[in-house]
Amino acid sequence: MNLYRTPIALFGFVLPVFITAALAGAALIVKSRIEASFNGKLSHFQGYEQNRIQALAREAENGKKRDHYKTWETLLSKETASNVGSTLAVIEDKMPSKEFQVTTRDFPANRAGFASVSAQNSGQVHLAFRATFRTMQAAFLELETRMPHLQLQELRIDPSANSNSLNFDVYYTAWEP
Amino acid sequence: MVSYQHPSELNALQQYRQAAAILRGTSRAVNDNWYKPAIDLDFQLHIRDDGESVKSWTFHAPTSTWAPGPDFGTDGPTPENIPAIAADIVAAARKAGCNALGVIIHVADEFATTELKPELDNPGALAELRETIITDPQAILDDSSLSPTDHSWRLLPYPASGSETIATIVTLTRRLEAIVSAFRDFGTSKNFPIRTLTLSEPILGLITLAELRTEPLARPILAVLPYPRFTILAFFNEHGDLRLIRSLQHRGQRRPTNLRHAAATTAAALEFSAPEIHVLPFGGAMDPQLKTDLSQVFENASIFEADWNHSPFAVPQFPGISPEIVAATRLKTEVDTPLATSHTFATLRTEGWATQDFLPLAPQLAEVFPSRAEMKLLHSSRYLKFALAILVFAIVTWSAFGVLDMIRKPEWTFEASEASTVAARLAELGKEKSRIEHWDNLLEDRSKAWASMEMLARLFPNNSGFLVRAFNHTATPDPAAGQARLGFVKVWTITGLAEESSMERLNTLNTREGISAVFAEVARITGNQAFRTDLPSRSITISIRTSENPGYRPKPPEEIVPGDESSFPYAFEISIKQRFEGDDPLAITVSAAP
Repeated sequence: MNLYRTPIALFGFVLPVFITAALAGAALIVKSRIEASFNGKLSHFQGYEQNRIQALAREAENGKKRDHYKTWETLLSKETASNVGSTLAVIEDKMPSKEFQVTTRDFPANRAGFASVSAQNSGQVHLAFRATFRTMQAAFLELETRMPHLQLQELRIDPSANSNSLNFDVYYTAWEP
Repeated sequence: MVSYQHPSELNALQQYRQAAAILRGTSRAVNDNWYKPAIDLDFQLHIRDDGESVKSWTFHAPTSTWAPGPDFGTDGPTPENIPAIAADIVAAARKAGCNALGVIIHVADEFATTELKPELDNPGALAELRETIITDPQAILDDSSLSPTDHSWRLLPYPASGSETIATIVTLTRRLEAIVSAFRDFGTSKNFPIRTLTLSEPILGLITLAELRTEPLARPILAVLPYPRFTILAFFNEHGDLRLIRSLQHRGQRRPTNLRHAAATTAAALEFSAPEIHVLPFGGAMDPQLKTDLSQVFENASIFEADWNHSPFAVPQFPGISPEIVAATRLKTEVDTPLATSHTFATLRTEGWATQDFLPLAPQLAEVFPSRAEMKLLHSSRYLKFALAILVFAIVTWSAFGVLDMIRKPEWTFEASEASTVAARLAELGKEKSRIEHWDNLLEDRSKAWASMEMLARLFPNNSGFLVRAFNHTATPDPAAGQARLGFVKVWTITGLAEESSMERLNTLNTREGISAVFAEVARITGNQAFRTDLPSRSITISIRTSENPGYRPKPPEEIVPGDESSFPYAFEISIKQRFEGDDPLAITVSAAP
């Protein structure tokens, strides 16, 4: 008796469970592979979206400063010595000649002041003036506004021996591209 | 009718397919009556053949209702007339709300006994012998002259202590096998369980004695069961246990001619003196001479004749129903007479010795169909397969919807090249931002001459009693290795002269709060952030040294000329140091432009 027990157990239980496991496993494997592919694309897409949003934000951020930067680029593209010369000429034209005189203008070759610690290209500017206090302050304001890449290293003010004017001796680091 | 093969002729897959076909094509999995004994079914057909006539009755167990069975006519039951008869009975069973039929055939026209091989006379082997007598009768029969193809044997135990043998063997011919098979085949063909049971009527008849005799046991008992063709003599000891059973053939007479001699010699052999004699007439009208014969042999014995009409086996509506037939339906009825509690009667009823099937379905044929447990197993496998199919469907559907959900999203069609384009654009913007930030840093207003001059003007306003003689300012970086941004130090050195009234001003300046207030004012007026002192990355210190002016010449106020150094009693030197740390917003970027 019980001659059917083994085939029933085999074909009624073991085989269906095996087939179910195989089918379910196949479905899950296919799904997992597609999911892995999708996750890869999702990762790219999320990166893309993140980059796109960041690019939009950065574009807006850069856009606000881009005009200024172009101005700086234009300014920096000029040779320092000639730029200083032309700017001082403009300032001299604006100031009363009795109250403002450029006495020294040279460009030392050494790297001093801020230039000594920065890898950025730069040049040295040495200027000396004889001028009244307020005129000189206005001239400095004009000079340093027109040439924002001038970083003051040293300023000495002494009374002039022969007049009511003051002697101004100033050293700048001029950043260059 | 579908023809099934024996599973041993099939391979495993074919066996399973055949089992599945049986499951689909029959009710064996859901109708347990296919596997119940005929005597336990609710609707039963009892057929009794005593050699003179064949009578039948139907019994509806739930209502204990008897009814006349089919009339088999003069030919009796034959394989040819069984299908029609079975159809009527099955219809009646269905009408009675029963889904199975038990056919119990009471063989009352033959009874013979034979003996076990003497070497098997072991009480402990009785159960094994009971199986062997069915599967291999020749192995245990002392007389092997009878053919198993024509005869069937069953054990009848002798439980009484002191018996010479553990059991006798009852023999029936297989002449009714075709009838029994016809009933079973009809049931199989109609997918309606018909279970059969072929009984030796005298064995069943013996158990009626237990209910008939209610007095306490005191003496041995001789039960005499006269049938039309033979008479049974059953000898029980004083404890009610069977010692011996033998049959006496009538050989054309109404009673056995050797009854007196057989009864006397057997009783003597068993040492029964004055036994209690019970005559159980199952064969209708009994020969009155039989009791006379017995009384001659056992002069002092009491002879009782069963009165069936006043017994538990009477069916008033149908007086013709033989008492053993009724007894077959009362096997589960509790009987508490002294005789019923004897070992013999207890085992006859409870262990099925009285209802042994002499013509069961041949094992070779029975094995064609799965067993009850196998059918249950197969049936449950259908639920398992259904559940597994649902599981697979659910998983596949879930996976499919998951995949569908993925491929519907824009990410699925996204091309990686688009990501690289945007990434390149972002990198380009990043470089641009770095360049802007770099130049933004370098071009910060961290050190401006005009702002320092404004600070000088704010320190010493016009007509404040001070004369500044020299002003010196330096801005120098504060080198620190490995830093991306460097701090710097700005130093202002101012020398000059002061009136006495201005010394308080110098004292005010010579505090952190005093100089910080001046720097804050400069920052506010000029907008130059380098003069802010409220940042934690900045510190400011001031020191003022005063001394008497050696060139001071006291003069009346009206003689003092503006700018006259000799009119100032004090000289001073102020040193202001402002430190910017590397984390200050104005700290210098060390690297070159990207």
